[in-house]
Amino acid sequence: MTEPEEYYVALFESISQVLRSEKILKNAGIPHKLIPVPRHISSDCGVCLRFTSNLKKQIEDILAGKVDVIEMRQL
Amino acid sequence: MREIIDARGLACPQPVILAKRALEMHKRIVVMVDNAVAMENVRRLGAKSGCEVTIDKKDDGTYHIHMSRTHTDGDTAMASADGITGDTSCHPGQRESFVVVVSDNRMGRGNDELGYILIRSFLHTLLQLTPLPDRIIFYNSGVHLTTRDSEVLEDLKQLADSGVEILVCGTCVNYFGISDKIGVGTISNMHDIVTSLSTASRLITP
Repeated sequence: MTEPEEYYVALFESISQVLRSEKILKNAGIPHKLIPVPRHISSDCGVCLRFTSNLKKQIEDILAGKVDVIEMRQL
Repeated sequence: MREIIDARGLACPQPVILAKRALEMHKRIVVMVDNAVAMENVRRLGAKSGCEVTIDKKDDGTYHIHMSRTHTDGDTAMASADGITGDTSCHPGQRESFVVVVSDNRMGRGNDELGYILIRSFLHTLLQLTPLPDRIIFYNSGVHLTTRDSEVLEDLKQLADSGVEILVCGTCVNYFGISDKIGVGTISNMHDIVTSLSTASRLITP
């Protein structure tokens, strides 16, 4: 199945920011996945966007100025 | 002697029910059906009941499913069959089963956008559960989650690869016109769904 790939997650202030980002990534055709924030990162029942590490720069650029990303963190 | 059951033109789960009844009375039966979904459902019934099953595809698009009960297995399996529970009949004293029912492509009611976030989170998190469910049943708009372009397809495939049986309601798939778009699981019928629900020892629905 999935190779042991390196993933990053982008964490956001609110669900609406997650949705806005998701829409931007979808329109740009950048592969990503909405997942619950991993437990070791936060105990909230929040969601975040996961993507492979090679897309980090591209995603940072496309979201810049449109959405507030709290942090991009390696998984 | 073979008992011949003509189930052509019958809607699901009728072919399965007829086949099941016939198997209870006869050692060797042939079931005639006119579509692949019915064939698959009848074939699975046979496999579950400990039958030897061979499929004969005819030129006119129909299938002849030959089933014969093997001496030991079949007899015990059928003897312990209690009406509709084909599932448990082949494994007497079977362990508990844990079933997840996904009847919607949203989780909870109130806001669809939020509900869609939640159902994706739910299915992703299900992967981390131990033990995993034995079976996940998708029906009504839940079947949309099993299509090839579904955003949870990867999660569902991983669940399936980990041994979780994924049943997708055939009537629903047909209703939505997405029969050729299903990317994971087995197209199933009301017979299997009712059996799974009624024999589950744990049933959760998001």
